[in-house]
This record gives sequence, C-alpha cells and structure tokens, in this order.
Amino acid sequence: MRRIGVFVCHCGINIAQNVDVKALAEYASQLNGVVVAKEYKYMCSDVGATLIKDTIKEFKLDGVVIASCSPRMHEHTFRRVANDGGVNPYRVEISNIREQCSWAHSNKGQATEKAKFLVRSSVSKALSLEPLKPSTLKVIPEALVIGGGIAGIQTSLDLADDGFKVHLVERDPSIGGHMAQLDKTFPTLDCSSCILTPKMMEVANHENIELLSYAEIVSIEGSIGNYTVKIKKKPRYVDVDKCTGCGDCAAACRLKDRIVSEFNQGMGKRGAAYMPFPQAVPLKYVIDDKKCLFLTKGKCGDEPLCKKACVQNAITFDQKEEIIERKVGAIVVATGYDVMDPTLVYEYGYDQSPDVVTTLELERLISSSGPTKGEILRPSNQQKPKSVTFILCVGSRDETQCTWCCRIGCMTALKQVYLLREKLGEDIEINVCYNDFRSFGKGYEEFYRKVRGLHTNMFRGRPSEVRTMKDHLKIDIFDTTTSKLFEIKTDMVVLVPAMMPRKDTTQFARLLHLTLSGDGFFLEAHPKLRPVDTFVNGIFIAGCCQAPKDIQDTVSQASAAASRAATILSQDELEIDPLIAMVDEDICTGCGICVEVCPYEARTLNERKRIAEVNDALCAGCGGCIAACPSNASIHKNFTKKQLLNMVDDIM
Amino acid sequence: MSIIDLTSMGEPQSEQRKELNDRLTKLQDEISDYCFQCARCTSGCEAHKLLELEPHKIVALLKRGLINELVNADVIWTCMTCLKCRERCPQRVAPVEILFALKNIAVANGKQIPGKYTAMLQSILSIGLIQDIQQTTTRTNKTVKREELGLPPLSKPTDVAKFQAGIMKIAMEKV
Amino acid sequence: MKKKYALFPGCLMPTEQYAYELSIRETLPLLDVELVDVEGFSCCGEPMKSVNQLLTLYLSARNLAIAQKHHLDLFVPCAMCHLALTECQHILEKNPAMKDRINDMLVAEDLAYTEKRHIVHTVDLLHDEIGVQKIKEHVKKPLQGVKIAVHYGCHILRPRELGRPDDSENPQKIEAILKALGAEPVNYPQKLDCCGAPLLANLPESALTKTGQKLQAIQEQGIQGLVDVCPWCHKMFDSRQTKAGETVAAKLDVPVVYLTQLLGVAFGLSAEKLGLDLNLSPVEKLQLEAAK
Ligand SMILES: Cc1cc2nc3c(=O)[nH]c(=O)nc-3n(C[C@H](O)[C@H](O)[C@H](O)COP(=O)(O)OP(=O)(O)OC[C@H]3O[C@@H](n4cnc5c(N)ncnc54)[C@H](O)[C@@H]3O)c2cc1C
Ligand code: SF4
Ligand code: SF4
Ligand code: SF4
Ligand code: SF4
Repeated sequence: MRRIGVFVCHCGINIAQNVDVKALAEYASQLNGVVVAKEYKYMCSDVGATLIKDTIKEFKLDGVVIASCSPRMHEHTFRRVANDGGVNPYRVEISNIREQCSWAHSNKGQATEKAKFLVRSSVSKALSLEPLKPSTLKVIPEALVIGGGIAGIQTSLDLADDGFKVHLVERDPSIGGHMAQLDKTFPTLDCSSCILTPKMMEVANHENIELLSYAEIVSIEGSIGNYTVKIKKKPRYVDVDKCTGCGDCAAACRLKDRIVSEFNQGMGKRGAAYMPFPQAVPLKYVIDDKKCLFLTKGKCGDEPLCKKACVQNAITFDQKEEIIERKVGAIVVATGYDVMDPTLVYEYGYDQSPDVVTTLELERLISSSGPTKGEILRPSNQQKPKSVTFILCVGSRDETQCTWCCRIGCMTALKQVYLLREKLGEDIEINVCYNDFRSFGKGYEEFYRKVRGLHTNMFRGRPSEVRTMKDHLKIDIFDTTTSKLFEIKTDMVVLVPAMMPRKDTTQFARLLHLTLSGDGFFLEAHPKLRPVDTFVNGIFIAGCCQAPKDIQDTVSQASAAASRAATILSQDELEIDPLIAMVDEDICTGCGICVEVCPYEARTLNERKRIAEVNDALCAGCGGCIAACPSNASIHKNFTKKQLLNMVDDIM
Repeated sequence: MSIIDLTSMGEPQSEQRKELNDRLTKLQDEISDYCFQCARCTSGCEAHKLLELEPHKIVALLKRGLINELVNADVIWTCMTCLKCRERCPQRVAPVEILFALKNIAVANGKQIPGKYTAMLQSILSIGLIQDIQQTTTRTNKTVKREELGLPPLSKPTDVAKFQAGIMKIAMEKV
Repeated sequence: MKKKYALFPGCLMPTEQYAYELSIRETLPLLDVELVDVEGFSCCGEPMKSVNQLLTLYLSARNLAIAQKHHLDLFVPCAMCHLALTECQHILEKNPAMKDRINDMLVAEDLAYTEKRHIVHTVDLLHDEIGVQKIKEHVKKPLQGVKIAVHYGCHILRPRELGRPDDSENPQKIEAILKALGAEPVNYPQKLDCCGAPLLANLPESALTKTGQKLQAIQEQGIQGLVDVCPWCHKMFDSRQTKAGETVAAKLDVPVVYLTQLLGVAFGLSAEKLGLDLNLSPVEKLQLEAAK
C-alpha cells in the first residue's frame, strides 16, 4: 500500500481567497492512498519545508502531492525538500491550483470544486510515479565564446582568469567589434581604443584563451557540460606563424587603396592584402579572397606583388578552409548587433547625398585613425562644414521599422555634438532634431546638461524628410517647444540609426536551438531574474545580441555570463534530469522514426539489436519521439500513457 | 473629478472620442492613442505652411477628447490629403483620416459645408458625376466638344431614380 | 496576350481632361490592351470623403460591383479614383459587416460586391503589366533630348499599406518608362510634393498657390517640362498654370504633358490624335516631333 501526503498551500491569499483550502485538505485526506493532508500559508517557506519534512517522517510517506503554484515556480524546491525528508524527489507531484485555478476563477465555490478535481488527479499520478535516479555526466571545464566584441572579450577574460580554458570564435579577421570603431565613449569621453586595446592584447596573450579569429561555427552538438563544436577556420592566405604584421604585403598590393574599407564604414580604402585597423588582434594580415586578383582571376600581373614583398615568406595562396573540433562544457553567445541600413528610410536622403551620414560613419570621421585622420570634412567637397544637423530615432521607435528604442542614440548624438564643438570650434552651427532625450545612465543626464551649454540648437520634433538641394541639405522641422516650423539649411546631416539584430540571427539561433524575442534579438530566460541565461541549459548570452545597450551594460552582462558559465564549469559532474525518454526494447521495431523526429540528435538506431536508443545526455525530454513512435515503444519516464490517462479518468 | 481646458472652458467629450476612435479602427486599423507627439506629420504637412494646419495637434486634441473644439474649427478643412502624415507616422497614426472623420462629424452636426462640396454632391445626385461636360478650349482658344473629338458618350448611372434612392438612404447614415 | 480592362473614366477626365482620354485610347490598344467602355459608372466617391465617407465607400463599391457584373478588371487612370476604389476594396475585404451593409444598399440597383477586382493605374499598367521592354519595342520616334521632371501625384503613391502603383518614397516607374521612350527624366527635390488639387473645392486660392510653388521650383531649376498621370494634377499644372503663376507672382511657362501623350509621340502618333493642342501650357517648347 502506498502512503501519499497532500500539502495545500495558501500562497498568502493568492490561493486562499478563491479556494477553500481547509475544505480542500479535508477532501484530499479522504482520497485513496492518502494518509495525511495538511494546509499552510506558505509551503515554500522554511517553516513550510520543515512541515513537509516532519510529516514525511511522522507518517512514513513514500509520495508527496503539493497543491500550490505552477511547477515552473517551485517544483525544484519541493523535490529537494522531499529528498531531504526521505522521499524520492521524482515521487513529488505538483497540483497547480494557483495559475490554473485561483487566479483564473472568481467564484470561490466553483474554484474549490475544480481544485478538488486537480488534486484528485495529481494523487492518482503520484500513486504511479516511479522513483528515479538522475545519471551523471562529466563536465568539460572549457568554454566557447562566440563573438569577439567587447562582450565576448570581457567574458573570455573573466573565464580565463578563473582558470578555465576559453575558445573565442570571431568571424572577422580581428576582435574588437563595434567598440573598435568608436572614437571616444560617452559619458566620460574615454578614448575607445585606449580602453579596448589593452583588453584585446590580453586576449591575444592569455595562456587560457585560444583565439580563433576569421572563423565561424559550423555545428554544435551535445548538451550542458558536454558540447562538441565544429568550427570553420577561413583561410587568411597568410601563415600566421610567420607573419610579423610588418605590412609590406599591404603596401605592395596591386589593389592598394582600391577596395572600400568595412572598418571605416565604406569611407576609407584598403587593398586586398590588409589589416582591418592598426590595433587589430591578432596583428596578422589577411588576403580578401573575394577581391584578390590572384585568388579571383588566377593572375595578378606577372606575379602577386604581396608574395614578392613579404620577406617572411608568409603568403600562402594554397591555404584551405579548415574545420576543427572543440569540446566545451558551456557556451556564451556575444554576437552583438547591426546598425540599421539607413536607406530603409529613403526620405532621409542617405541614398541621395554623400553629406547624409550615420553616427557610426561620423565616429570614423572624428577618429584620428579614420579616413580623414580625424578632420571633420564634408564628404561632397572635403571642406569643413559650417552647419551639421543630427536626426535622432531614425528607424527607431517606429512601428514600420524597429519598434524599440536604440538606447544609445541620444547619448551618441550628444557625445558627437560635444566632439564636433571641440574639433570645429564655436562658429559652426549644430542642430539636433530629437523626439525625447533619453539620458538614463549614471552620469548621462549631467552630460546632457553639459551639451545644452554648448549653444546647440535643439528642435523637439521629427523631420518628415531631408531634401538634397543644389549646394546644401534642407530640413523642415516643426519644433513643438516653440510651436513653429523651422527650415534648416545645413551642410551635413547625421542620422542616428536604429540598432538591429544581426542579419543572420535567425539561422544562428537555429544552430544553437535558441529562442528569439519579438524584436529578433536573443531571448533571455527571464527578463529580470535570469537576464543572461537562455532556455537552453549551458548557453548564455551577453551584450547587444540580447538587446541594444551601451558599453557599461554590455560589460556587466559579459561578466555575469562568465560567472553563470563558471557555475557549470567548476563542477566535476552534472546530474542529468531523469525525466527523459526511454525505449521499451521488447516493443521497439527499430523503424527509426524517432531518430528522424528528435531535434536534439539524441536518438540512434542500434543496428545489431535492431532497436532505437536514447542518449541520456542529449535528450531534452521534449516528447517528440513519444508522439511519433507508431508502436508505443517510446516512453517518457513518469509521463507514461497510463499515468496520464489515469489522471484524465480521475477528472472525468 | 474632472478635467477642464481653462483657455476655452471646454471639457473632454470621452463618449464622442470613443465613437470617433471606433470609426477609425473600423476603417483604417488606426489607433490615434499611440501618437507620441513627434510632430513628424506637421513637419511634412503640405497644408501647414500655407494654412497653419497642425496634424499633430489635431491628434493631441483628439486624445484629450476636445472633439467639439476640433469639429468647429475651420482649420480641419485645410488638409490637402497629400497623405504624407499617414505614410510617415512612426506610430501608424493617420491624421489625414482623423481629419476626414472630423469633417464628416461637422457635416452630420449640421455645420455649413464650405466651398463647392454641396454643388458637387448635387451634381452627383442628378447625373452621378461631380460635374457635367465642361466648356473646353485649345491652346489657340478654339472651343472643343467631347463628341467632336470622337470620344464615346459619358459613362454614368443609367437608372437615375434608383441611383438617387441609394444615395438618399446613405445621406441619413453615418460610417 | 491581349489584356482586357474596363476603362473607369471617373468624373474629371471625361468632362474636361480630354487629352488624357484621347492619348489613352490611342496608345494602349497598340500595346495589346483592350479597353472596354462600360455603361453606368459614377463618381468614385473620393471627392465626397470629407462630407460623408460612407457615401464614398458606397459609390466606390457600386463601381466595383459594376465591373464585377461584367467580369472585368479595372483600369483607372485617375489617381484619386484609383485610391478610392483600392481603399474601398481593402475596407470591404477586411470588414465583413461593412461589406454586408454596403451590399444591402447596392441591392436597389441590382448590384453586389462579392469578389476582388484587379485595379490598375496608368503607371503600373504600363510598367508592370505591359512592361518597359514591350514599350521600347513600339518606339518609332525616340524622344531624344527631352529632359523632363515627373510628377507622380500623392494618391498613386500613398499610403503604401494599401498597395500603390509605385514605391511611396522612391518611385521610379515613370522614369523607367520615359527612358524607354528615349527621354531623360530629371530628378528634383520637390518631386513628391502635392499639386494642390484636393483643396480646389473649398480653398481654390491656396490650392493654386501650392501648384504655383511647385511649378515655380521646376522653372527655377531650368527643367524643360513636367509629365503627369492624373487628370486632377494636370488640371492644376496645365489648365490652371497661368492662374497658379499669379498666386506666386511669377510668369510660369512650364510645358506639362500626360505620360500617355509622350508615349503616343514616341509611337509616332499625330499631335491631334493625342490632344496635344488641348494642353494649355506651352508644350511646343518641348519640341516634340509628333506626326502631322
Ligand atoms: C555610432 C555608435 C556610437 C556608440 N558610442 C558608444 C559610447 O560612446 N559609449 C557606449 O557605452 N556605447 C556606445 N555605443 C554602443 C556600443 O557600440 C555597444 O554597446 C558595444 O559595441 C556592444 O558590444 P558587443 O560585443 O555586444 O557587440 P559588437 O560590438 O557588435 O561585437 C560583436 C562581435 O561578434 C562578432 N560576430 C557576430 N556574429 C558572429 C558569429 N556568428 N560568429 C562569430 N562572431 C560573430 C562580430 O564580428 C563582432 O566582432 C555606440 C554604438 C554606435 C553604433
Ligand atoms: S536612444 Fe534616443 S535616439 Fe535611440 S531610439 Fe531611443 S530616443 Fe531615439
Ligand atoms: S524526448 Fe525524444 S525527441 Fe525529445 S529529445 Fe528526447 S529522444 Fe529526442
Ligand atoms: S507623426 Fe504620428 S506619432 Fe508623430 S505626432 Fe504625428 S500622428 Fe503623432
Ligand atoms: S494629408 Fe493633410 S494633414 Fe496630412 S500631411 Fe497632407 S495636408 Fe497635412
């Protein structure tokens, strides 16, 4: 005879105000197999836990039903309590009488009746629950970090300093991400490369970090604690062991200064042999195989000039793409963001005039390592502009483009106003068309005040369009502070474009089984309480791939993700949840349908036994194979057909 | 508790505001409440420079429920229906459609219809078109007639009585 | 393959803007478009939208129902009519209650709106249905040296959510057609500005000021002429050009032609057939070589 105890929680008044908890406990105590039923104000509190443990001992219980909130909230807690009391944790059944009962109904009498049904069916399930034992898995104490922007850099350094081996995969030839393109950073105006370069160097030199630049993820298999990752290393056509970064190849390249530089946002030029920027890490040259004459046409004059120039003999045109494999216990995704293509807002003239630029382009113009060596020149005539006008929220907070706020646009514009004043002096006109100024961070409002003091013309409104006139740009703006329409004739317009998810986010998410939020960025497991976790155990997110944010927030998140990953990596073994699929070997016909449906590659066909098998470490317990199996040989432990049908019978 | 506009002593008419919003959702899926007063509509309004129409303010007044003030204002009749406000509003509000609704309400309330609208309506009633064949001339001042140009007869309602009956019925109804 | 459409003339084109109608009737059949004249059409309703939008919907639905009765799609050369019919169809399709209500009233004339019609305007008919390539093949006298600005007209571009004949912010179809004719389209910052016509009913002075401002800007930029595709726009820019000039205190002499007139000239049709003498603006300045 089984001995079940039922514990009814009031959840303060959350449950008690709509369900008669006393009557419910009284009813439960009468059910078949139940030897005791108790109610208490907060079952999840210490007192509640003690009550459960003591009752288990007193009544020699071998199964427990908790009538409380959703199992998503406290199943874990109650399993532990039961275990402490001496009941197998998988013989705990949660009856959700809060979300699915007291919160959903207002008639106390009817809600109580429904709660009785729910508890009755839970008891019937509890009677047939099998005691299960989690198996264990050895944790590989290494991490994979994807994306080498400031987020990926910070996460890698934190984990490496904790003593874990880190494999940092960066798609571009150099790490650094967007931050490497910035001149100074708000609100403190530190020089971006001055604070970033040392960190990049540390990555390059850290004994625990393997930097895989110019590389991409091909596949990821496995689960928390034990992932197998395939990585594609794109050919650089430069032997990195020999290259000293001297730059002789770039200087010699036949296409020198003929190819638009991505790093300079299309405003500067580079060759086919190039280094994206002087502080690049690794400090190695790369040959652009989409442009290089030798690689695209098989011929570069009489001979490739770069090869001739390189005294180290580092140029190797026969380098091939290489797939390597790494095993890791945890993964941090830090792939960052894209800046919105400003041509999507055609009426703002980006397509029509070279004098309409984005803030990111202006960063490059301001930067002393940029295409103009830090001189602010109007692109159409290379003269100093007499008037510059910023337009905020371009494509942001816009139901037809990006519905969200870019969170850094206002501050970026204010920062650039400050830097323009510094560089161009008092006599130029600076206008800003804004909707609201959002200066929420530490020191931000103070910075906004400072910029207000720099006689900037602030217009509160959005322009409808930017017109390209013969020798200037024209903006009509209705300023709601003065209730007047102003016509601005200006030399340069700076658009503050929206921040968007990376173009390939959807495919990339599929590779990792990650979920996206409505805006297309990676979705965190809980917006407040699990901000860097994802719904896949063992994979974490940091930085702008989760949502637009500034460098401060990016770095905080990056350290948080490192610490969350370390929690896993620091354990020798992990318990594997036993609530997964298994195969009834006697019934399985080896048809292999489950192998096809399993999205986690947890199913294999054992050719010798002619049956399907489950890899416990990979199975996520999704249930796909159970539904698909035509012979009922696939079983989900403790969610068997019989158990579930019994529950239904008990309600009917 | 109450709200009052001390400049005009006007009070919000929440019932009418709801009615108007319902009409707009019915016809354009539009919810004016989402407007966040960026004034992009007014920055590009074709009528603003000439006639001081401020579409963002129309939306704001509607959101405040000051419908009477709007319905009685002559400025609602100055919209050129260039549709730029609707096209470029970042919140998918359509001031131009709000203006149409307000003008309709003004007419339904018996306000004098400005300009040639009444004449056009009468012409529609009698021949189905806003105007009948006009006197036209060439560049060299020669008078020309439609039929002389070899163009076929006008297409217009054939059974005028039935056509009129339909229209009279609508004149009594609102959207 | 011959394409067949009911020609929906609207009010303005058949009562005064004959040049448009003439040039349409002359050129489109050459491009294998069969235009069917259908009896019983009325005003599209758009001019009444300020007075009672239900009336607009009723009139539009009535015209759609007539086309349906003849199993014909619609060719609507007027921008305003095109928007009215498109919008009506959009509303009736997504709002069944409104559809029933309108249909209840249409019974009086033995009409019913039950199925969607394809509604094209001059621009998408020429560019998308017929295609630039085919137009090019018919050109006999390329419009060499004609450098001309384009006025699309608000109602064929906006609102984009209803599906309009060309892109709302960067329309290029007329330009593509002009290039096929051998002419050279000229870009200008005021391209998307309104002609002013919708204010004609109650504020004619202001309406004409708008017209005058746009024409003045074109004239000041030294652009040879203007091409349009809507009887309302043309009424403002061409028929009322002198008056429009007065409102901005300028002597305007900008030749204004319908796109279909240029099409005809390039196809080798005579000035008379294309109604070129009906344009009141100085079209002779364009030095078009129309056949005699
Ligand atoms: C114009 C402008 C000015 C700014 N100014 C400031 C400022 O002054 N102060 C401030 O605090 N913030 C500023 N920011 C914000 C700042 O850029 C971000 O907060 C920061 O760069 C986010 O870092 P990240 O690492 O999350 O993303 P990113 O910088 O985007 O880095 C992501 C990295 O991941 C790599 N990657 C992407 N996909 C893959 C993949 N599939 N596989 C491998 N690698 C991949 C990318 O190549 C890149 O190196 C500014 C932003 C802009 C646009
Ligand atoms: S941060 Fe500023 S610029 Fe960016 S969307 Fe928000 S309000 Fe607009
Ligand atoms: S439950 Fe079945 S389908 Fe789902 S992960 Fe496990 S083995 Fe694969
Ligand atoms: S553009 Fe839209 S959101 Fe902005 S003020 Fe006008 S109606 Fe409101
Ligand atoms: S449609 Fe009317 S209100 Fe809207 S921008 Fe044009 S003129 Fe102004």
